[in-house]
Amino acid sequence: MAAKKLSETFSKSLIEEVGRWGCMKQTGVSLRYMMEFGSKPTDKNLLISAQFLHKELPIRIARRAIELETLPYGLSEKPAVLKVRDWYLDSFRDLRSFPDIRSTSDERDFTQMIKAIKVRHNNVVPMMALGLQQLKKEMDPKIVYEDLDEIHQFLDRFYMSRIGIRMLIGQHVELHNPNPPPHCIGYIDTKMSPVQVARNASEHARCVCLREYGSAPDFNIYGDPSFTFPYVPSHLHLMVFELVKNSLRAVEERYMDSDKVAPPIRIIVADGLEDVTIKVSDEGGGIPRSGLPKIFTYLYSTARNPLDENTDLAADKGTMAGYGYGLPISRLYARYFGGDLQIISMEGYGTDAYLHLSRLGDSQEPLP
Amino acid sequence: MAAKKLSETFSKSLIEEVGRWGCMKQTGVSLRYMMEFGSKPTDKNLLISAQFLHKELPIRIARRAIELETLPYGLSEKPAVLKVRDWYLDSFRDLRSFPDIRSTSDERDFTQMIKAIKVRHNNVVPMMALGLQQLKKEMDPKIVYEDLHEIHQFLDRFYMSRIGIRMLIGQHVELHNPNPPPHCIGYIDTKMSPVQVARNASEHAHCVCLREYGSAPDFNIYGDPSFTFPYVPSHLHLMVFELVKNSLRAVEERYMDSDKVAPPIRIIVADGLEDVTIKVSDEGGGIPRSGLPKIFTYLYSTARNPLDENTDLAADKGTMAGYGYGLPISRLYARYFGGDLQIISMEGYGTDAYLHLSRLGDSQEPLP
Repeated sequence: MAAKKLSETFSKSLIEEVGRWGCMKQTGVSLRYMMEFGSKPTDKNLLISAQFLHKELPIRIARRAIELETLPYGLSEKPAVLKVRDWYLDSFRDLRSFPDIRSTSDERDFTQMIKAIKVRHNNVVPMMALGLQQLKKEMDPKIVYEDLDEIHQFLDRFYMSRIGIRMLIGQHVELHNPNPPPHCIGYIDTKMSPVQVARNASEHARCVCLREYGSAPDFNIYGDPSFTFPYVPSHLHLMVFELVKNSLRAVEERYMDSDKVAPPIRIIVADGLEDVTIKVSDEGGGIPRSGLPKIFTYLYSTARNPLDENTDLAADKGTMAGYGYGLPISRLYARYFGGDLQIISMEGYGTDAYLHLSRLGDSQEPLP
Repeated sequence: MAAKKLSETFSKSLIEEVGRWGCMKQTGVSLRYMMEFGSKPTDKNLLISAQFLHKELPIRIARRAIELETLPYGLSEKPAVLKVRDWYLDSFRDLRSFPDIRSTSDERDFTQMIKAIKVRHNNVVPMMALGLQQLKKEMDPKIVYEDLHEIHQFLDRFYMSRIGIRMLIGQHVELHNPNPPPHCIGYIDTKMSPVQVARNASEHAHCVCLREYGSAPDFNIYGDPSFTFPYVPSHLHLMVFELVKNSLRAVEERYMDSDKVAPPIRIIVADGLEDVTIKVSDEGGGIPRSGLPKIFTYLYSTARNPLDENTDLAADKGTMAGYGYGLPISRLYARYFGGDLQIISMEGYGTDAYLHLSRLGDSQEPLP
């Protein structure tokens, strides 16, 4: 179904409401607060949480809906982008038309609704990527796409906001789980072992490499497996998976026609007072200094682009490369809880990626 | 001899001339140009070079003299800074009062004069450091010194300019050497082996560490010793010395009271198409992410400050630490020919320093 003009699908009053709510102040939450609040998931606390989300989610969603309408270079008119905008408007309407939450029964209904909202938005990333593809096709090929700074800044804000919205929704939904895994509070594992998660993610990446290339370099992990700290394992898994995937691919492509043994990827997990740092080092030949800024731009990839109009967007995201989203989005996840991701390379030798995870837990969510 | 007010030592007309020349456009030279020009040090070419310097050096010197007069927080009035300003004005006067260079004999006299200018300015760095100390003593201790942005930016410009001036003078003087070392053009070695220079610098740093601590960790160098490219060995030696010195100190302080064997410093030399990259890695415990910006500021040091009013400024610069100048100035040297220096750390584990040296040789000198 082709996306229609805004006024055809959504009423004038809704559009005005979006404009109002999009200007309201956002309220951030820290990892520490999420843990403290979620450690006592009583009916009363769940009610408070639902009431908070009932006010906060429409503000964040409206903000993004407004931005989607005002993108440069005609990006807002691309069919895929209109689709995403419609998802945001539908979700805004669902939230605003939900009555005040007064009882536990209201709260349960609300939880089901935001769960459905989260599912509606599952494919936002590939859909936006498709929209950018649609734009790229029409643009002057001489324009260096990676230079379109405004668009990259928009995508950084947009995806960072999405991480926050999905974290808040997911956390609230998970608190209803009658049998949570040991020492977990929603998505947060209060005793997460970074060595263990890094191992799982690296094995996952290695499987994907094996499947695509027929062989895969080894990896070694150095660090204390008994060291734990509170973090969101799914976030860490995603980031380590991306980094190790890139390293495996670089080494594999460098050594596949060689007699020499491919040098293993080295993963080091270090625990400090402020940070836990994970370094992923490879000897895959490195990236020239002039090429380094590009790796954090959206849609930059040295692989064949697997995305086109006919791609089944619900398909397995286990490809080795090509979307051009892995690194920029991994960096957003790292920054979401006050950390960072830095990549340094030695041309002709290899690349080191440094993932800093803040241990302090006090950082408030970034609210772009 | 106490430095006097400007008008007492220098004539009004000189001060006006400084004002005029300080506004003239500077002309940069690339490494490649220096090599090509210097490969044929005929009398005619030396004449051309001298005439260029006769015009260019006063412009660069006047620019800095003007800045020295207009520093914030009263820095310009500190005795040590007045001394440096007087050196710059004396040198400007020497250059401006030198007659037009027409013959080889003029050229030889000019060369002797600029050689003397270079010697006059030998101790600018510790003298400016003393001036900053004098300022710091008087300032409110609550002011976080490392935050004085304007001063740091001034020092970066000032020292970068000094590197350029000394490179131009030194190069011209060296071209008169009747017996230059093989494949050298002035200060430039057209076949410099970075592995060899790194080895020398690391051994030098190792000696200094041994002397100060009584013991020193080992280091290993990985890279092709037969690989060469054109660069200035003295610059590279200075930079590697600084980095290895810092690593040795960190590891030594971490392991000196321990039974465990201190892990060796790892130095990797990689040659790419655009860059030669040298990585210095240590397991000295690392630097917290919050502390990393400070390491590139002037006068930040975690060691006892060895500089005071009574220091013999001509003394051996072979101390392990304390000036707080090693890293910022090394970075300027790296950037001078289009390279860079980046430091990343893993708190609780160790630090990696990446020295990028541009192979292209086309970068023009930065002209702040």
